[in-house]
Amino acid sequence: MTWSATCEMAGIFPKLSTNAVAQYPATRKVLFRNQVLRFVDGAAQRYRDSIGPLRQWDIRLDQLDERELAAIEGFFAENQGRFGNFEFMDPWDGQVYPTCSFASDALGLVSVAEMNGRTSFTVRENRS
Amino acid sequence: MLVYPQLTTGAVSQFPAQKRRKLRTVVNALGDGSSIKLADPPGELTEWQLQYAGLSDQEALALEQFFESVEGSLGVFTFLDPTANLFSWSGQLDHREWTKGPLLALTGNVPDPVGGMNGWNLSNSGAGVQSLSQTLEAPGGYVYCLSVYAKAFAAGLKITLLCGSARLDRTLETEWSRITFSGSGDAQAETIDFGIEVPPGGSLDLYGMQAEPQAGASTYRPSTTGGVYSNAWFRDDFLAVTATDVNRHSATVNINANRL
Repeated sequence: MTWSATCEMAGIFPKLSTNAVAQYPATRKVLFRNQVLRFVDGAAQRYRDSIGPLRQWDIRLDQLDERELAAIEGFFAENQGRFGNFEFMDPWDGQVYPTCSFASDALGLVSVAEMNGRTSFTVRENRS
Repeated sequence: MLVYPQLTTGAVSQFPAQKRRKLRTVVNALGDGSSIKLADPPGELTEWQLQYAGLSDQEALALEQFFESVEGSLGVFTFLDPTANLFSWSGQLDHREWTKGPLLALTGNVPDPVGGMNGWNLSNSGAGVQSLSQTLEAPGGYVYCLSVYAKAFAAGLKITLLCGSARLDRTLETEWSRITFSGSGDAQAETIDFGIEVPPGGSLDLYGMQAEPQAGASTYRPSTTGGVYSNAWFRDDFLAVTATDVNRHSATVNINANRL
């Protein structure tokens, strides 16, 4: 078994031929990590367990041509799934998040017909 | 060499075809929310689900016979990804996967026909024909389609496309055009060469070298690892073929492969 422990920036997230990175419906999540201690008297103490929120984008792409599908598959392979970090531009506001990765080690690709493919995946911001 | 059978049309699959790439990463999440990740490239697995409809008796029988010959999930075989470019490093013609004639000069970052800078210039400064080719560990008897975008600096340049032992001469113009060449190699061969020959003094721009296990060309897909899987197996120990009409059958096949 070969292990690779270097986690470097791997490429630029591929844009579609329309220059977009996402299609409707697209979901953006803001993730906090807070802890709550509940006491016997019903009161609770809450505290932050992270230095700030992280963002996550659920991207579903449809009607892709073969070139677009291959670009996403190639980028996923180049990043070795969720191992690699890359820069991702939030499709809502254009803000660039410098350290993101795929949330899963699996990527499904469906060729529905000629020039008609679809895929979906989740991009997650990492704590740098 | 056990090879997954093509249909009589020369296609490996029909639409819809599903492909799933699975990689393996070990993640150690730390208390501050950051994480340490370890990649495990040999853990890669690719899965296909191929859904067939309207298969003829002959095609359904070939599929069943092949399934029996590998005894379900027991045996491994060569599978050519129907959704991929079979070439490795199709956009990097100076990669070691490509075999280049000694007097053939390659220059990258040339404008391509889709508005990028991913084209290549090939110049033959020698007195004889020079070739650029790639050998695939794929069955010679398959039907393949080789396609490439090309344009010459001077109209009338005659180049030759190679597909196994088959050759196709084409005359280039000074505008980009896509050349496709469908053919097969030696039926007994376990490797096949694809490439292009440039005549003495010839200079041309190339983009989008693609080989596919089917008779026609589809949209160009840049590739790195290629689409030849010599270590594929059926996921299941059963194959259900349903007769839907006279000489009409349907089936769903699940295939897994890795690159170990």
